[in-house]
Amino acid sequence: MRALGPQSVSSFLKIALDVVYVAAVGVAAVVGPMIIALLIATPFTHSPLEFKLSGQVWVSPFSNATLIALMIGVETYIVCLVVVLNRIRRIVDTLIMGDPFRPENVGRLRWIGTGLIVLEIATDGLRWLVAHLPQAHPTPRAGESWFNPTAWFAVLVVFVLAEVFREGARLRQEAELTI
Amino acid sequence: MTVKIRLDRMLFERRMSLSELADRVGVTTANLSILKTGRARAIRFSTLDALCVALDCQPGDLLEFVPGRLDDLNDTES
Repeated sequence: MRALGPQSVSSFLKIALDVVYVAAVGVAAVVGPMIIALLIATPFTHSPLEFKLSGQVWVSPFSNATLIALMIGVETYIVCLVVVLNRIRRIVDTLIMGDPFRPENVGRLRWIGTGLIVLEIATDGLRWLVAHLPQAHPTPRAGESWFNPTAWFAVLVVFVLAEVFREGARLRQEAELTI
Repeated sequence: MTVKIRLDRMLFERRMSLSELADRVGVTTANLSILKTGRARAIRFSTLDALCVALDCQPGDLLEFVPGRLDDLNDTES
């Protein structure tokens, strides 16, 4: 099976990416208004949040402020994921067209790299927040770190790949202008 | 330094159109137009050879060296 062009591996990858992208946009569209609703409807306090569901009172294990902070962290994560997925989809579009060395792909790869940085920071922030909740939650054991070298190496690889694409686009333009 | 191509002058001297030259050389009119307007980055020896045969001239008749910086030429192109 071919890697580039229509009816290739890239086409199937695009379908999978589209599904994940739509799901991520859906989650972001749900969580965003929930944060706004929480900010408007409840006071920003450290007291536990109470919900009245069909006559019964349900008390949240987290305070209102913690819940909002968690949701903002999750929303940041999902929005970054949407940005990264969107750029990957556009790059895959150029793969399907059989023409990946386009100058636009350089900017897209840089966006992906930046998005991965924000994703990693958001993940660490969420882990920190969850670890400092009053309930028992997993915290890093002695000698264990939140720092994920694989993720940061991936960020570096994406930025290097962006430079490779820049050089590829330049060479392609030069070949086009060689008569 | 800049090297300019004097294709329009040679075409005028030979009373030849760009499309006629394109037919003789075997290069598309669009590519010859890129060459004529100085937007080309490079020229193959095979193309230069075909141009010289079609226009009955030497490479020096087609190319002209103008002192200056290559960046200046690129700036004027863009």
